[in-house]
Amino acid sequence: VKVEAIQYGDRKVYTVASFNRGVADWLSRLPTIWVEGEVTELRRNARWQSVFFTLKDPSDGACLGVTIARSRFDALRLDLGDGERVHVFGRPELFEAKGDFRIRALSIERFGLGDHLAALERLKKKLAADGVFERKRPLPLIPRRIGLVTGNDAAAKRDLLTTITGRFPAARIVVAETYVQGPFAATAMVDALRDVCAAPEVDVVVLARGGGSFEDLLPFSDERLVRAVATCPVPVVSAVGHEQDTPLCDLAADARASTPTAAARLVVPDASELVSRLDRSRGALARGARGVLERRRQRLEHTHERLRRAPALAVERKRARLEHSAGRLRALSPRATLQRGYAIVRSGNAIVRSPAAVSSGDEIDVEVADGRFGARVE
Amino acid sequence: VTFEEAQRELEQIVERLERGDAGLDEAIKLWERGEELYKRCVGQLDAAQGKIEELARRVESAKPA
Repeated sequence: VKVEAIQYGDRKVYTVASFNRGVADWLSRLPTIWVEGEVTELRRNARWQSVFFTLKDPSDGACLGVTIARSRFDALRLDLGDGERVHVFGRPELFEAKGDFRIRALSIERFGLGDHLAALERLKKKLAADGVFERKRPLPLIPRRIGLVTGNDAAAKRDLLTTITGRFPAARIVVAETYVQGPFAATAMVDALRDVCAAPEVDVVVLARGGGSFEDLLPFSDERLVRAVATCPVPVVSAVGHEQDTPLCDLAADARASTPTAAARLVVPDASELVSRLDRSRGALARGARGVLERRRQRLEHTHERLRRAPALAVERKRARLEHSAGRLRALSPRATLQRGYAIVRSGNAIVRSPAAVSSGDEIDVEVADGRFGARVE
Repeated sequence: VTFEEAQRELEQIVERLERGDAGLDEAIKLWERGEELYKRCVGQLDAAQGKIEELARRVESAKPA
């Protein structure tokens, strides 16, 4: 088919076939490249020349059709199943009869352990940059209801229920059973998480699984689940038993527990310990009230003791001050000076202060401490 | 008059008396006032203690075995 336009006046119009031809031509000039995604809707039929499947981007669900020659596909012996992650090597092409865009695969490689680890590391960096691992809210002391997202026959579920009711018999639990493994696990858990949060009075959610292989635990690192955990309206406890590699949902959860039993201890308090703590508080309350009273009484008695002594003290002080004044009064009187051996000499009524005030033969009067006597000046 | 107000006044009276700057007549008046305040405070403390002990007895008897 040649790409030729039909001329309608000054308008160029292409037939569908020639349009498709042109686009296909243009696409065929694109290079051969690797594309990564999850296999879904794999269709292989022994009567068909090609095998078809859809490659899905796990982060946002974008889809790309893939076709590969059946002989080539069989030779790869991949035994691919839905949900498996692969690298497809091929070139873009247009199936002209239908106008379907797809990739013509030359080879397919199953995503290896190393690829998974590298992809996880990249996802972890990206989520960390988005702040997905930063939200850590405190768990409620006593949750009204506990949401539990877990596998339907999991020992994890039994351990959790036993420990929770053992510690806190009044606990109410909403269980959402779901796939925790396989290609649909991540979306199933996202749905279960949303449903359990929507149940009334659920204050905390436990996401539990009792361990598994690296591949088994991959859904717990799925971007959709990790983001759902981080944006969950109530706090989430991640209880995914694992040995080495921490699933990313552990990092996004508000709290993580190494086992379901440990998770149970996080979500409910020990009722008997709570009761004895309350009893101790009540005892302390009574002691506290008596203590306040006792301290007031002591302070009052101390003040009263001071009051009792104060008047006598005041009188004593006043007496001491009086004595002091009397002492000073006495010290200032001339009699004290005479006591020390001085004498007052008088001539007539005047006190003699100079030898010139008297003449030889004058009668004078001498006063000493004990009395007075007469004398004559020589 | 609250307990705290009475106690504060009592303490001020004692301080005044201990400073010794009150006249003798005034000191005796202050003393009488202080004793009156002391009696009032003790009465209030006794009443409070009675309430506390009563409450403690009620709490004790209501305690589950």
